[in-house]
Amino acid sequence: MITDSVPLPIEFLPCESQGTIVEMCGRPCQVQRLEELGIRQGCKVRMICRGEPCLICIEGRRISLRLGESAEIFVVPSAG
Amino acid sequence: MAPSIDASKATRTVALIGNPNTGKSSLFNALCGMNARVGNYPGVTVEQKVGRLVGSSMNVDVVDLPGTYSLAARSADEAVTVNVLSGELANQAAPEVAIVILDATNVERNLYLFSQMYELGLPLILVLNMWDRVESEGLHVDADLIAKRLGVPVICTSANRRRGVNELRVAIESALNGKQLPVEASRSSRALYPEAFLEESKRLAAWLETQGHRLPSYRVDRLIIDSDGHFQKMLCQSGVSEISKHIEESRERLAASGCRVPMFETKVRYGWIRQLIDGAVTRKESRSASPSDRIDRWLTHRWVGMLVFVLIMFLVFQSITLVAEWPMKRIEELQGIASSAVEAVVPSGALRSLLVDGVISGVGAVVVFIPQIAILFFFIAVLEDCGYMARAAFVMDKLMSSVGLSGKSFLPLMSSFACAVPGIMATRTIENRKDRMVTLLIAPLMSCSARMPVYILMVSAFVPATRYLGGWVTLQGMVLMMMQSLGAIVAIPVAWLLKKFFFPGEQATFLMELHSYKWPSMWVVYQRVWERVISFVGRAGTLIFCTTILVWAAGYFPADHSKLDTAVGNLEKLQSQQSELVAKSEQAKGAEDESAVQAKVQELQVEVDQALASVNALRSDMIESSFLGMFGHRIEPLVRPLGWDWKIGVATIASFPAREVIIATLGTIYSLGSDENEESLSLQSQMQQAKWPDGRPVFTLATSLSIMVFFALCAQCSATLMTIRRETNSWRWPLFSFAYMTTLAYVGAWLTYQVFALWG
Repeated sequence: MITDSVPLPIEFLPCESQGTIVEMCGRPCQVQRLEELGIRQGCKVRMICRGEPCLICIEGRRISLRLGESAEIFVVPSAG
Repeated sequence: MAPSIDASKATRTVALIGNPNTGKSSLFNALCGMNARVGNYPGVTVEQKVGRLVGSSMNVDVVDLPGTYSLAARSADEAVTVNVLSGELANQAAPEVAIVILDATNVERNLYLFSQMYELGLPLILVLNMWDRVESEGLHVDADLIAKRLGVPVICTSANRRRGVNELRVAIESALNGKQLPVEASRSSRALYPEAFLEESKRLAAWLETQGHRLPSYRVDRLIIDSDGHFQKMLCQSGVSEISKHIEESRERLAASGCRVPMFETKVRYGWIRQLIDGAVTRKESRSASPSDRIDRWLTHRWVGMLVFVLIMFLVFQSITLVAEWPMKRIEELQGIASSAVEAVVPSGALRSLLVDGVISGVGAVVVFIPQIAILFFFIAVLEDCGYMARAAFVMDKLMSSVGLSGKSFLPLMSSFACAVPGIMATRTIENRKDRMVTLLIAPLMSCSARMPVYILMVSAFVPATRYLGGWVTLQGMVLMMMQSLGAIVAIPVAWLLKKFFFPGEQATFLMELHSYKWPSMWVVYQRVWERVISFVGRAGTLIFCTTILVWAAGYFPADHSKLDTAVGNLEKLQSQQSELVAKSEQAKGAEDESAVQAKVQELQVEVDQALASVNALRSDMIESSFLGMFGHRIEPLVRPLGWDWKIGVATIASFPAREVIIATLGTIYSLGSDENEESLSLQSQMQQAKWPDGRPVFTLATSLSIMVFFALCAQCSATLMTIRRETNSWRWPLFSFAYMTTLAYVGAWLTYQVFALWG
């Protein structure tokens, strides 16, 4: 069962549920690109469409991503 | 009334910059009207768009820079942006003021670019665009507080509704009049950089100065932050080869002191942004899905999304065949009227032949396709502007990733459906070089608008006009859609092979923002359609016109036309005598000499028929013995396996500079060689009546399909090959494209003909 404290890769976030980004790792320039687009630690994300690529919503913006091996984003799902 | 512009005043320059999808183009249009000059920056293929500020008493040029999230200079676009801003581009004055446009509903993320702009030391104006959506999205933005904290004017606009544009114009003028000072360095986010980094930046700047390169601090910072970035490459190319070693050493020292490059930059900038907007921007927490989210759940769905995409494309091509029929017929009628008018005025001879067979039949045959081009671009513009195209890229990413590309390649490929030249140029947004090369090499396979006239001509003439489902679905529309998608389908294995054998590497990543759906702006749609139609007509008037004249000359000379001219003169005389006599016989009805007149009419009819037969025989002889005929017969063995006669072969070879030329050359060839009484017929009916010497029709379903397949796959466009040469900076790749596409086209056309000839 998913609890609040266990971070999980963003692609495991169920559709329509929210989470908070707790860690981003991978190739530095790729992570920097993500941050320039507004995807960064502490941000709340909502999953709109799961899969590869997935569609997430961050601060009202929809961003599609498929990062492959280059970077990984970990989130903690919000309760409820 | 608009203030008059004093031409003697010097031209001042301001730059417009912002993230993609912030309404930058709408704001540019609102500021400059329709008079933008579009070109390329010297030496690079980044689009340069400059407009004159309207309604201002000063001469102000507004430079629209490419939309970007950051000035990190990782791609050619971003590097040009930084070079323009620092005035380092030849023939381009440095802007005196920069207008930074932000999406007011997403201030925090958009301020990232602004924080970089703030370090350049230029006077800035901050524009909060889409202001009308702030309240509806549950936001509160205190523009005055932000202006006070930044020390720059903040203007709120809704560019698509032309709101706030006057205030911005006034702000630009007052900034240019020196009423606004450059930003203070102490307020910028650079002041928050770690001490160790600032030390390293100073050290590197000092070393560069000893090498004869005095760079502003912003560019030195970027050298250290962006690994293998654009500026580093530029310096290496200009002979400072040791730069890489110095940068590496700086990074190692920074890593040892605990400063993580490049990660610290985003942390510092977002920290600065957080301080700046603290208490100035508040957002209501919303967990519910917006209407865009609800639409997206379906349109980005794995299967439903793909189905919707195919359905939309299906509707687009069906409507092209259904809607364009009427205007096309009207243009053909005008062509007939023009031919008759010329024949009535110009006596039989070379000039008449040049005008009727060369200009009117040749160029006219191309102009007929303006309605289709306009309809296709109308749909592309609407789909792009409402936000659907980005969703299509998302859906297509799955397909693209299976051949090693990403959804990012989809948009350049989609614009190649309009024209491969902007499509190839759009591959600049793909950061990964290998992905970019593969995309660029398969882009010319996408069915561009110049192929459409060929398909429509063949489809409407040789595919049965069968209709299904109560007339709403046509067989012709379906064949048209198949032809339009053929290149894209062939591109899949081609991309896979290129990726596997020429550009091996790891799977490309996909990262793209999808903006909210909106109603398409009719102004933007109108502009796109107009631009494309004008460029299509422009090509018809220049390149196609010249090729047509050459083909006409090759088809007219060296034969002696005096016999034909005499025969035509004789025929016309007989015809006019005949019509006079017919009129006389009408009057003579019931009179005594009625039978005598009737006998004369019949006598004359025999003479007219004989004259007509000799004119037709002469016309056919003339084209066979012309340069074109001689050359055509020489190459006929090469095109025979494709089911083509020498006329199609010649027309195809003449269309290698630009594929739509085939319509014009076929128009000219068939008009020159056609029977006299068929001359006024449309190209379509002349083709339907074309026969082999043994009486079989030249054009069958198999022949027309083989022609279409050849045109779908062949690299018949000098502009595209030149663009590939420019973008790759080598002749190798245009030659490669030409060779692989021509081979594919020949083999594809041969297979098609053989299969359909057996079947049909």
